[in-house]
Amino acid sequence: MQFNSAPPTTMHIDINSCFATIEQQANPLLRGKPVAVAAYVKDYGCILAASYEAKRLGVKTGMRVKEGRMLAPRLIVLPPDPPKYRAVNKQLFALLSFYTPHISVESIDEMVMKLSQPEAGRPLAENIAKDIKQRIKKEIGEWITVSIGIAPNRYLAKVASGLEKPDGLVAITQENVIETFGNMQLTDFCGIKEGNAGRLRAAGIRTPLEFFRASTADLKRAFRSIVGYQWWLRLHGYEDGVMYKDFEKDREEEQKSFGQSYALGRPYLASDPRLWQILTQLVMKMGRRLRHDGFVAYGAGISLLFGGYTHWHTQEKHAAPLCTDRDFFLVFRQMLEAAPMKEIKLLAIYCYALARDLQGSLLLEDAKNREVSRALDKIQDRFGDFIIHPARMLAMEQKVLDRIAFGKV
Amino acid sequence: MSESINETVSVVLWNNAPYSFSWHGRKYRIKTVGMHHTIREGRHLFHIFSVSDDSTFFKLVMDTETLGWKLVATYAV
Repeated sequence: MQFNSAPPTTMHIDINSCFATIEQQANPLLRGKPVAVAAYVKDYGCILAASYEAKRLGVKTGMRVKEGRMLAPRLIVLPPDPPKYRAVNKQLFALLSFYTPHISVESIDEMVMKLSQPEAGRPLAENIAKDIKQRIKKEIGEWITVSIGIAPNRYLAKVASGLEKPDGLVAITQENVIETFGNMQLTDFCGIKEGNAGRLRAAGIRTPLEFFRASTADLKRAFRSIVGYQWWLRLHGYEDGVMYKDFEKDREEEQKSFGQSYALGRPYLASDPRLWQILTQLVMKMGRRLRHDGFVAYGAGISLLFGGYTHWHTQEKHAAPLCTDRDFFLVFRQMLEAAPMKEIKLLAIYCYALARDLQGSLLLEDAKNREVSRALDKIQDRFGDFIIHPARMLAMEQKVLDRIAFGKV
Repeated sequence: MSESINETVSVVLWNNAPYSFSWHGRKYRIKTVGMHHTIREGRHLFHIFSVSDDSTFFKLVMDTETLGWKLVATYAV
């Protein structure tokens, strides 16, 4: 089997330096200046996105604000404004819907679409991509640019979108795959970083072309599993059925857990009531999402990151379903009591083993609690988040802010 | 630099977007509407306009419940 000869109908659209670019779009006075959006604007805040002007000065995503300012003393650092980014994500989705119903939102700044016309060849796909770029400038914002990758499968479309930034348009097809891979490094492939590059090197594969030309047997040996075959499919323009969600798959079908996390500005011990206040907020957010989507959970877990980057995690399953904020709070609080007495820098909670909330509880007390939870959810839906909350949240010093999780919107 | 304001202002609209506004007795003519988006607090809908008069950036918010406008933040280079 050779490279997929089907027309390249898959398009990966990536908003360049998403958060920073959107801030520059909103505020014209920031255009042409080094801008970074950071989780917190103080020295130790983590940079989430840097504008191209900042990138040219060496500022990178993941750096601390302090490091960024050392490289670019005039760096303008802004806190994230998720509603603004979600608005652009929504506008982009609406714009792409004009071309096809097959769109998958990969994250706040990435979307993949499959053109409906199976006869569409590379010229048509490229024309559509150019049209999308023009319409984004006209209808969403003149400062917003996207890099578009076109290929017969999703993986190569994503790779292609990363080859020219900003404002790139690259197609990987049967005709140019050798030339394209010839100009790349192994680590330019998404999913090939130190670990996988080491496995490939150990198998004598040092370049993208060697990777591409390796047989399925060679790759299975290199990765010591079926993963090698999946890589062969990806590189040859076929869907591997593993790396990405299906376009058509129902979102509910994929929902396996709900979670919330919070990086603490000031670290607390597990026994500190101020930590329980934060836990309460996280539980309220998670519980409301769970109930809104019509689920209950039979499992819950907690994960803590301590100063010095040590980590602690526990999870447990329950015979009875967890549904109300009170159910979750009691479970997590009990878990926290067993946690090491170290300063906590990050608190993450999640629930799993989900089931549809179809029956309700037969126990009178449980049924009452669920009704109270639903009533509280309705009040918040009407008047806003945390408009009503448990007394333990009074006089909170740290508030859990709205954030966009990795790979989410 | 950026400054939080949160004060009521009077806004003149043109084509459903802010054209000018008055604040502290001074009139500001808007040259660029960088972005318009909405947020909800419960069922309460707010329209947020990121605008500039070419020397200062303003964040104007319209409350759809009261139809009142607020200047919530400014930014000057």
